[in-house]
Amino acid sequence: MSTLPILKLRAVGKSYGENRVLKGIDLDVMRGEIVTLIGPSGSGKTTALRCMNFLEAYDEGEIWIKGQLLGYSTGEQGRRTRDSEAAIAEVRRPVAMVFQQFNLWPHMSVLANVAAPLILARRMAKDEARRKALAALERVGMAHKAEAYPARLSGGQQQRVGIARALAVEPELMLLDEPTSALDPELVEEVQGVIRSLAQDGMTMVMVTHEMGFAAKISNRVVFMEGGLVVESGPPGELFGHSRTPRLQQFLKPWLERSLAP
Amino acid sequence: MQEFLELLPRFAVAALLTLELSLAGAALGLAGGFLLHLFRLGGGRVFALGCGVYVWLLRGTPFLSQLFIVYFGLPVLGLRLSAPEATVVSLAFYSAAYFSEIFRAGWAAIPRGQIEAAHAFGMTSRARFCHIELPQALAFALPLLANQLILVIKESAVASIITVPELTMTTSNIIASTYSYVMPYALLIAGYWLLTQSVAWLAQQAARRIPFLRTPS
Repeated sequence: MSTLPILKLRAVGKSYGENRVLKGIDLDVMRGEIVTLIGPSGSGKTTALRCMNFLEAYDEGEIWIKGQLLGYSTGEQGRRTRDSEAAIAEVRRPVAMVFQQFNLWPHMSVLANVAAPLILARRMAKDEARRKALAALERVGMAHKAEAYPARLSGGQQQRVGIARALAVEPELMLLDEPTSALDPELVEEVQGVIRSLAQDGMTMVMVTHEMGFAAKISNRVVFMEGGLVVESGPPGELFGHSRTPRLQQFLKPWLERSLAP
Repeated sequence: MQEFLELLPRFAVAALLTLELSLAGAALGLAGGFLLHLFRLGGGRVFALGCGVYVWLLRGTPFLSQLFIVYFGLPVLGLRLSAPEATVVSLAFYSAAYFSEIFRAGWAAIPRGQIEAAHAFGMTSRARFCHIELPQALAFALPLLANQLILVIKESAVASIITVPELTMTTSNIIASTYSYVMPYALLIAGYWLLTQSVAWLAQQAARRIPFLRTPS
């Protein structure tokens, strides 16, 4: 068992022009851990997640995936240069992502969606890729829709395909960006069920979510962000039960009132 | 009826020529428009600026003047084209500007998140272009491409001015020699109508065969 964190963030910052949306984030994610990022809109949690696979280029600090610096190379005088697209792809290879809006490719069947990263990015033979894709679809209960196009599926089904697409590349770390936020309330449960079963299988995950109850149940660690900073982090029992900062207490109040209501 | 039967073969030949000129011009224009689009996508600032200026000029001037420049202007530079050749070349230059804008619209219609997903899964820019962007952008662009082809067919009537014996020129010749107006003009309109509606119909059939364009019922 390695004690090296699979994902390490050190003083990560990100600005859009004058607007500094991340102001120095530190985070270690160990293998098998499930970390959820919570916080109000605009707190920087989605930006932080998107930096973790360089969909957003962070511009301060360091992000390490399995001990490799993501996105940049450090030259002789400590000057950083941005890596090529291929080099970035190589470092982020152990990481897969699930998107809030699913981001399936509408011109491909469900099976083709799941197989495409294997064929087009991992250079896998088509037969093998289709076999792997079908297995991933079975894992999320979507194998029966393999030949359908995404537009024919419900939101919950599309997100399950999104999860299958991420699973198929056999990731060591999954990033989930508000995976149930775009779903009708009655479809949330089916997607959460799939994510729970991944958790039981020991998948390492970092998830941004607004579903406090789900975060409380599934996480090993909850990170509360606001204003581009980590305000508080710890095991869910601690954070949801005995939050130390008034800001987190205030943020959790509506949820606590709802869940404690008779 | 007698007149109709007499004129029909001449109109058929003329319509065929209109179709040939238009298809040749549009095919070259399509290729040119796609190249322009590629340059604008990834060719750097100088190329992008050049393409922008090209589109700006070609869209901003009448096709007739472009045809005159090719037919009467190029011989000054030592390049003498026959009237049909000049027509095809002019149609190509002219439609390339519009086609490139259509491709641009097709690309702009691709949701950003899909490109991000391709990035996140480590696809190379080439895989992304060929397998994610191109099929969708072409499908979005299909009705607009067909529309542009229809415009090219109608614009080819201008070639009658430099004496290409296409539909419009043929009609003028017949009217000049027979002093009959109704039947030649009726056939002229029917000829263009048939050509353009065929294009529209074909595009519709093609769109129907693209499975992901069918919205869920």
